[in-house]
Amino acid sequence: MADLFAWLFAFFLLITILALILYQLMCLADLEFDYINPYDSASRINWVVWPEFIAQGVLCFVHLTAGHWIMFLLCLPYLYYNIKVYSQRRHLVDVTEIFNQLHWEKKIRLFKLGYLVILLALSIFWMIWTIVDE
Amino acid sequence: MGTENPNRPNYPLRPASTPFSAPQSTTPFLSSGPVLGSEASAFRPAPPSSSQFPTLPFSAGPLVGSESLGFGPPPSARPNELVRPHPSLQSSYGPPTTGFQRFPAPPLPSTDHTQHPRASLSGPPVVPPPTRLQGGSVSSEASFFSQPQPPSISMGSPPQNIKTGQFYSNIPPSTDQPFSPSRQNVLPISPMMGPSQATARGTSQSAFPGYASAQPYSSAQVPPVRPPFPSQAGGYAPPPPPAPFVAQPRGYMPGPPVTTSSVPYSRDQVQLHGMAPPIASQGLVEDFSSLSLGSVPGSFDSGLDVKALPRPLDGDVASKSLAEMYPLNCDSRVLRLTTGGIPNSQSLASRWHLGLGAVVCPLAESPIGDEVPIVNFGTTGIIRCRRCRTYVNPYVTFTDHGRKWRCNICSLLNDVPGEYFAHVDANGRRVDLDQRPELTKGSVEFIAPVEYMVRPPMPPLYFFLIDVSISAVQSGMLEVVAQTIKSCLDNLPGSTRTQIGFLTYDSTIHFYNMKSSLVQPQMMVVSDLDDIFVPLPDDLLVNLSESRIAVEAFLESLPSMFQENMNVESAFGPALKAAFMVMSQLGGKLIIFQNTLPSLGVGRLRLRGDDIRLYGTDKEHTLRVPEDPFYKQMAADFTKYQIAANVYAFSGKYTDIASLGTLAKYTGGQVYYYPSFLSVIHEDKLRHELTRDLTRETAWESVMRIRCGKGVRFTSFHGNFMLRSTDLLALPAVDCDKAYAAQLSLEETLLTTQTVYFQVALLYTSSSGERRIRVHTAAAPVVADLGEMYRLTDTGAVVSLLSRLAIEKTLSNKLEDARNFIQLKIVKAFREYRNLYAVQHRLVGRMIYPESLKFLPLYGLALTRSTPLRGGYADAQLDERCEAGYTMMALPVKKLLKLLYPSLLRIDDCLVNSSARADDFDISKRLPLTSESLDTRGVYIFDDGFRLVIWFGRSASPDIARGLLGEDLGADFSKISLSQRDNEMSRKLMKIFQKSRESDPSYYQLCHLVRQGEQPREGYFLLSNLVEDQTGGASGYADWFMQLHRQVQQNA
Repeated sequence: MADLFAWLFAFFLLITILALILYQLMCLADLEFDYINPYDSASRINWVVWPEFIAQGVLCFVHLTAGHWIMFLLCLPYLYYNIKVYSQRRHLVDVTEIFNQLHWEKKIRLFKLGYLVILLALSIFWMIWTIVDE
Repeated sequence: MGTENPNRPNYPLRPASTPFSAPQSTTPFLSSGPVLGSEASAFRPAPPSSSQFPTLPFSAGPLVGSESLGFGPPPSARPNELVRPHPSLQSSYGPPTTGFQRFPAPPLPSTDHTQHPRASLSGPPVVPPPTRLQGGSVSSEASFFSQPQPPSISMGSPPQNIKTGQFYSNIPPSTDQPFSPSRQNVLPISPMMGPSQATARGTSQSAFPGYASAQPYSSAQVPPVRPPFPSQAGGYAPPPPPAPFVAQPRGYMPGPPVTTSSVPYSRDQVQLHGMAPPIASQGLVEDFSSLSLGSVPGSFDSGLDVKALPRPLDGDVASKSLAEMYPLNCDSRVLRLTTGGIPNSQSLASRWHLGLGAVVCPLAESPIGDEVPIVNFGTTGIIRCRRCRTYVNPYVTFTDHGRKWRCNICSLLNDVPGEYFAHVDANGRRVDLDQRPELTKGSVEFIAPVEYMVRPPMPPLYFFLIDVSISAVQSGMLEVVAQTIKSCLDNLPGSTRTQIGFLTYDSTIHFYNMKSSLVQPQMMVVSDLDDIFVPLPDDLLVNLSESRIAVEAFLESLPSMFQENMNVESAFGPALKAAFMVMSQLGGKLIIFQNTLPSLGVGRLRLRGDDIRLYGTDKEHTLRVPEDPFYKQMAADFTKYQIAANVYAFSGKYTDIASLGTLAKYTGGQVYYYPSFLSVIHEDKLRHELTRDLTRETAWESVMRIRCGKGVRFTSFHGNFMLRSTDLLALPAVDCDKAYAAQLSLEETLLTTQTVYFQVALLYTSSSGERRIRVHTAAAPVVADLGEMYRLTDTGAVVSLLSRLAIEKTLSNKLEDARNFIQLKIVKAFREYRNLYAVQHRLVGRMIYPESLKFLPLYGLALTRSTPLRGGYADAQLDERCEAGYTMMALPVKKLLKLLYPSLLRIDDCLVNSSARADDFDISKRLPLTSESLDTRGVYIFDDGFRLVIWFGRSASPDIARGLLGEDLGADFSKISLSQRDNEMSRKLMKIFQKSRESDPSYYQLCHLVRQGEQPREGYFLLSNLVEDQTGGASGYADWFMQLHRQVQQNA
């Protein structure tokens, strides 16, 4: 039963991260089409960067403690990337250069999105597997 | 400009050399002279044209015939472009003067046709264009030759014409080159000409004529003979022999004799075959410049004549070709395109390696008498396109009897508002044209109505943030600054509206209440740096005219107030925040005087210093980027609230300009750096530059956008500003000393228009409190041919763009990478160019380059050796590097080129010679920047626009030194400053100084004295700036040229 809860929790965390990434993408797209100014866009994105990182960290932790080794390993690259970016102080969007970085930032987030979707599919699969198992 | 010059010399030469020369003069065609459009003439002097014809009888006749043959078959190339019959339009277009001549050529089936032109002379419209033309086979050349004019031909609009340049299709069938688009004609020749051709710049010409024709047609009527001819004609007659040298006349390079042998051969061929080749050869002759680098490939060390290398000793000469093509364009001071030919397809654009874009200086100073006209539409509102928001400009067309106008950028048909209506005459011109500057001038200024304001226009506002720590006081900075500001109070723009405020700081922050009711300012000290608050928020910024007494009293007492200050700390960050709080209501200009490294509170910086260990590693660039995100954030906030920051830094020690400069970078400001400021030495410089900063005409709270036609888009911008949306530059303050670069990209794979229009619009608040829009409009042709792009290249703009890209690169890469980037760009560009010609001509051992880019290698070299990019750790101090980087990112083209290739002048003759007057001293007699130019007996002056260096040769006459320096003769040159003395020599020198300072008032050229052999000063001030010399790890000009040549040849 605990395992199922772990899967459920991980599932909701994943959904949360997905939502945060989508939100960031939305802000970038809005910026590109000139619906909002760079100041708002940058501050909105930066506002959710920390939640995203924390949620991702928690996700890793849950998988680790619940013994979902494969999922944990799959989450590791993302965690590593986040830590690396943070240690280089590049985790926040730079409002002054946001237009020059727009394409790169979008690319990163789209990549994350794809990656998260795969994780999501796997978690759902394992969650169902666990339910069936029990 | 470069492109044109060569021709002139050439012409005279050719006739002489050519056997045919005689006929030239005689030719009946001279009559054609009138035909030449003004434009055409610019490119190629008309006279030569005549030569062509004459030649025909001799050898050409057959040739032509051959060509004609060629035409028939090749039609494949570009069909219709050449001729566009739009009979109806014809009349409408431009005044004949513009030089429109269109000469559609009838296809020349046989040699006879060649003769045609003459016939046509008599009766212009003689032959209706044969169907063939339409077949499209007609090559440009063909058109020149024979085409009788179709009477009706006219370009709908000037732009259309452009196309003509493109058709080089008339390739003789035999030639099936990859290059066909470029210049077919040339091809055949190649075998014959061999290396000799190198100098030529011929083929391209055809293109030009095309351009010329592009202009308003109206005149076209008669011109039986095509103007193009002339240019080409020259080519014809003298086919081979003169060619190699033609280009050379400039003195670049004596062509290697080798080539000559080929000449006879070629001519023979011509005669034998009567083929197109001759033509081609001519074209070739004119088409490019070359330098021989040794007779045999592989033996590079011989054969390069250093003296023959091109040098921009005339300074920057902007190319006129575009301006002549489109006389309604705004001046080149304002807008310079890296190439005047916009590629018509993405594949063509991808073969262009020098950056496709523009350098814009929206407020460039206009010479007296040519001021930008101000237009007030009053209640009508500003006339703009409904869809793309383009402002009305000289290129819009009025239709429907003047009730509608067509936007030149998006071609939408707009209604003309009732108040703006005017009848249109038979030519499509509005009858009130002469009263409408916006329809006749490329640059105008509109008075913007209320819709263009988000708030009432702000007053000019100056806020001074002054460091008063011990070093500021001791260096004398404080005193100079206070005096200068005081002396400028009367001249601040904005008269009675101007607002002013002061804030000083050391370890605490001092505010000054200067309410108009006070006689003495009140000082308030805030020492809580963590939680800054602003006391009396209303009285810190005051109206200058109302509080004049208090302001003056403050400035008077400022130096003495802190005389005894022993504080070494600097709470710069908190002070900055305080200034932001004070200014955020209105915006304005924040002028920062910083003497030490910020050491307290938020934004304090480490003495991270210039770590030699980082150079050459991946972390090298971190030295050049701001360390603390605080500064970027502040800069972003400043821009948001319309605050522009100018940073003046004075410390001799590390001050982290990289971080401080960010403030200026993103707010459209400027960085001034006076290393080890000492008032005795730098006073004049600071005084002048601060005065200029305070008193020059400034545009406040402005935004700038560059619009351009469909299919192209500006995608990246480079300079000191912040982007507010993808293409909107936020510029809290702009003035005439700032330029911005932008890069274009093609959005569509194929451009269908023939002209691309650009419109720069700067919306700003003038110091007088009016909202205004300065609009600059320019047109550029779309071309289908790479050679054409090269021909219309503007080296200055290219260099400016490259320098900005390279400097940006130093912020994320190693210096080495940035230098390689420049080299790579040049190599790629020249390789591409070489591919256009080299193969057919077997230009082994020759460096070929377009005439228009002849200075690019040298400027590229100078760029790699400029302060921001040069060497490594030891070659420039980090702060100087960063400052130079920030400065160069904002420099207008002309000043940048002067900085890259400064002038070196010999002055001892002028000084000693009592009959020579200083007024006559020719500051344009520049010497090559190499130590060989320095004679130990001479005295030289070196001027890069930022400083003057006087170099005394070891055996220079002591009289000069005595005359200039008086009793200081033996003193340490670093400690004395030159001042006027009471003798003729000194007065003369001062005159010369004055002259060069007046020529560029944006910076003060502080004078430094250097003795030959006095190290390290000599090295620092002069030797390291002699860009043609080999010093340290940097290569000299000759080596550099070799290097480029070698790389160009690899994989060529």
